[in-house]
Amino acid sequence: MPSLWHQKHYPVTIAVSKTPLSSPFYIAKAINAFDKTCVDVEYIAVNGGIAAFEKVMSGEVDFGTSSDSAIAFQSLTHHNFVTHTMFSQSDNDIKLITRSSDQIKSVRDLKGKKVGVIKKSASEYLLSTLLAIEGLTIADVDLHYYTPELLLQSLRDLEVDAIIPWEPYAFQASKLLGNKITTHNTKNLSTLSFNLISLTPNNLLVEKAVCIIKGLQIAINYIASHPQKSKKIVINQLNLDPSFIDWVWPDYIFKLGLNQSLILNLQSQASWAIDTHTTEYSAPPKSEKFIDTRALLQVEPGAVNLMH
Amino acid sequence: MKLSLLHQILFFTLGSCLLFTILVFSILWSIQAVDITLKREKYAHKVEDRTNILKQFILSEDIYSSNYNTNNWLTLENKFDNLLQLAPNLTPQQQTIQNSIVSQNKSVQRLFNAINENKLKNANQAIKKHLKIRLITQLEAIRTDSIQLSTIANEDIQSVIKNQIIFVLLVLILIILALVYGAFRLTTVFKTSLNEVKKAFKDNHSGNFQNIHFSNHTEEFESIANAFNAMNKKLSVTTVSLESMKKIVHERTCKLEQLSNTDPLTQVANRRALFERGNAEFSRIQRSKNELTIILLDCDLFKDINDEFGHVFGDKVLKHLSEICTKEIRNIDFFARYGGEEFIIILPDSDLNGAIETAKRIQQSLTDQRLKFEDKDVPLTVSMGISTVTSKHENFEQLIKDADIAMYKAKTNGRNRIEIADETNTIIKKA
Repeated sequence: MPSLWHQKHYPVTIAVSKTPLSSPFYIAKAINAFDKTCVDVEYIAVNGGIAAFEKVMSGEVDFGTSSDSAIAFQSLTHHNFVTHTMFSQSDNDIKLITRSSDQIKSVRDLKGKKVGVIKKSASEYLLSTLLAIEGLTIADVDLHYYTPELLLQSLRDLEVDAIIPWEPYAFQASKLLGNKITTHNTKNLSTLSFNLISLTPNNLLVEKAVCIIKGLQIAINYIASHPQKSKKIVINQLNLDPSFIDWVWPDYIFKLGLNQSLILNLQSQASWAIDTHTTEYSAPPKSEKFIDTRALLQVEPGAVNLMH
Repeated sequence: MKLSLLHQILFFTLGSCLLFTILVFSILWSIQAVDITLKREKYAHKVEDRTNILKQFILSEDIYSSNYNTNNWLTLENKFDNLLQLAPNLTPQQQTIQNSIVSQNKSVQRLFNAINENKLKNANQAIKKHLKIRLITQLEAIRTDSIQLSTIANEDIQSVIKNQIIFVLLVLILIILALVYGAFRLTTVFKTSLNEVKKAFKDNHSGNFQNIHFSNHTEEFESIANAFNAMNKKLSVTTVSLESMKKIVHERTCKLEQLSNTDPLTQVANRRALFERGNAEFSRIQRSKNELTIILLDCDLFKDINDEFGHVFGDKVLKHLSEICTKEIRNIDFFARYGGEEFIIILPDSDLNGAIETAKRIQQSLTDQRLKFEDKDVPLTVSMGISTVTSKHENFEQLIKDADIAMYKAKTNGRNRIEIADETNTIIKKA
């Protein structure tokens, strides 16, 4: 009687951002972590969290992977989505790069300089944080907006004096330009997390989310137990330069969680977005609205720490 | 493999010691495992406490104040940093969270140091508030991580204790089973072997000299078996069993009895057997009132035969006479040599007429079957006296005496005759 032995498998599509921050997904698939859960997953590879977000919102996919920054910004315009769990984070994913010849030693030296950022993203948010620490604001720099792919080109073409890209563009810049550029130490000054998002779920979608999170949990434990094998899987799956993984891997933390710091992060980034782009957004919504703890509570209740 | 009993006991004892050592080590290992999980849980609590202190510090202190002294903060942070560095050995899942805590603490330190470098002199209140919230956010993240670490540690304690109890119990059960099996095995070897020895002695007692074959081969019992089997081999050769001895004695007794009752020359019953049987028959008719008659035969002119043809031929004559008489009497009759050339036939349940018939058949046979000496017929006759039991006879001897008188009458009356004794010992009939 196969029905007694085989769990029902729901077909599920997930828009997965092509970044090592999505490693738990790639590893889960490679080690067949979803086999023991209730889902048959199909990945649709996308470039960046915003693309994944759009696919979720359009209903093209059931779930997507998205950075907290993307969630914070999108929460200002969309209200019908939730994040089920955070599964990875990096405290050094976004970097400040300047030309070595410009002798820009610190953020303070950016005053009056042309800085290339990605609009309404973690890139722009980090810049404002860095400036704030030095007592400066966005108004103190000449802001230029680019897509992630064009940031490096803008620096090479002398269109800007500094860029704030995320990985893997910072690594590409370092590899291509070597000593010609300076990567400033911004580690620990920002945290980028990656999250599993979907449209506001019904019970079935929560059930599917439970199964996906179970697969992610298996993958995350595998990463902790077999870091070298995990790195190899990610290198193969994303067809990456091994030195790139060696470059970013120490900054990564893979763990499931829905906690107060995520809400605070979302809130501060949303508030920042309203402050800096007042013409586009109104008051920030309550970030708790975009957190659905039901699925994670079923898989790893200890990972849910929210103040009520 | 054949192991000596001594070795088996030695191995059993050593095995028991080994198993108990395993048990002690598994208990110690379990205590160690539980201790590690307790340390992890304690560590998680300490991290949570320290983070709360740091968070409280940031909330209560005016870190942007121009005369703000960072020493207190640095002391607290150092303590926290030291605590994180002294983390116990963690599980992979706990290590992931530990990495997160360490990383986030670095973020806290980095942000705090960055803020304190210039005290955000040029920043507005909103930015100051924002960065302070960010600091608190980071500390909050550490706190929630430490809570998760504590939760995992707690679950781990329960699961480790449960697993260790199961493990120790399993080891204990295995040890008990092994000990019971070992003890049972040794007892069985002893019991079976001793029973086999006992049975062998019992068989020996009955004269069944079988070798011992042990079901369980042990050096000690095998040596007993070898000694016993060697002893048995000797005994079986030198000892005659009681039963066979009785049989032999019986056979010999029968033989001797036969010899003592048989006349060696004619191979018919002798005088001793005659009186035994005669007395028995006499006694019998005393009770049954049946008739009993005897014939006494005497070879006529036997002395002359001996003298003329020699003693060897004389013996032949006696044998010939015996053969004829034996042939002519009934099955129930008894023929015996009385002495010399005299023979007696006892005829139970026979009257005088029956005896006369028998006597006549003998006479006829002697006539018909003559002996030859050097192709010359040698005539052989007998004189017979018949007597039958009457009221006057008190014993068998008296009956013989009457028959003897009758036989002499026959001799006197010309030999080759049959005479019957009457009640007054006179001849009543001639044949």
